[in-house]
Amino acid sequence: MKMRLSPQTLQILDAFLQDPTDWKYGYDLSRNTGLRSGTLYPILMRLADRKLLDTTWEAAEMGKPPRHLYRLTPDGLQFVRESQISRLTEGMRRPAWSEVKN
Amino acid sequence: MPAARRLAIRVLRAVARHAPDECRDWANAMLRELDFIEGDWAALFWAMGSTTAIFRYSSCGLKAWCKKYSGYKEELTMKDLGKEIAGLLLGVAMAIALAFCAFGLLQVSLHFFPVLEFGGVPWAAWVIVFAIPETIFIVGAVKLWQKMRPMALGILLSAIIFATHFVMHLVSHWNG
Repeated sequence: MKMRLSPQTLQILDAFLQDPTDWKYGYDLSRNTGLRSGTLYPILMRLADRKLLDTTWEAAEMGKPPRHLYRLTPDGLQFVRESQISRLTEGMRRPAWSEVKN
Repeated sequence: MPAARRLAIRVLRAVARHAPDECRDWANAMLRELDFIEGDWAALFWAMGSTTAIFRYSSCGLKAWCKKYSGYKEELTMKDLGKEIAGLLLGVAMAIALAFCAFGLLQVSLHFFPVLEFGGVPWAAWVIVFAIPETIFIVGAVKLWQKMRPMALGILLSAIIFATHFVMHLVSHWNG
């Protein structure tokens, strides 16, 4: 799957990877990544559109409105791991100019 | 409840109520999160950001729909949409600046050459204020159409509004 991975998207994906099976709240993701809602939600929406993110409403409790929850789908998990590997190999292929200069 | 938080809740409730079906769930999700944000100003900023997110998502959906039905296949991203809106606004701003320049040029011309305003029919004024800018708008829009289409659209839109204004001005002031 082809998708542009901005630094903010990578931050969010990394936050999901910390505990991939856990459902996460939007505000918690915002706090963990330091991203504002105007940046966070468009990325979540795009990930959900591409079936990389599962969304659900938590079970309602008495006097407490339900919250929206997010988790990577198996496809999403695979995509993140593949992109991590490609990032790593890309980093290894890139020449270390600073070392050459020194 | 402090005013900032009240405003945040009102804004997000309105957004959730008026959001298109495909993003109403998202708007409600953002609204629910408000209860868990400690600061009132933080809640207001959350609401503002969320409103922007919903607006951008809705406009992307609308644009994708337009492209689908117009046969335009290029993939759309939110950043592209922002760039296109900026290009359009820049085109409009350039057209307005040019119109003001033309008006200024007219004032200067009439000051130095009062003979230009002859016979009650200000042909010179029409040429300077309308014909020259309109020609520049059209030529500019045609030149920019391939490479900077949003800007060309902005200029063209301004040209149409400007021409409509000119015609209405003529109709309302024509007495002979």
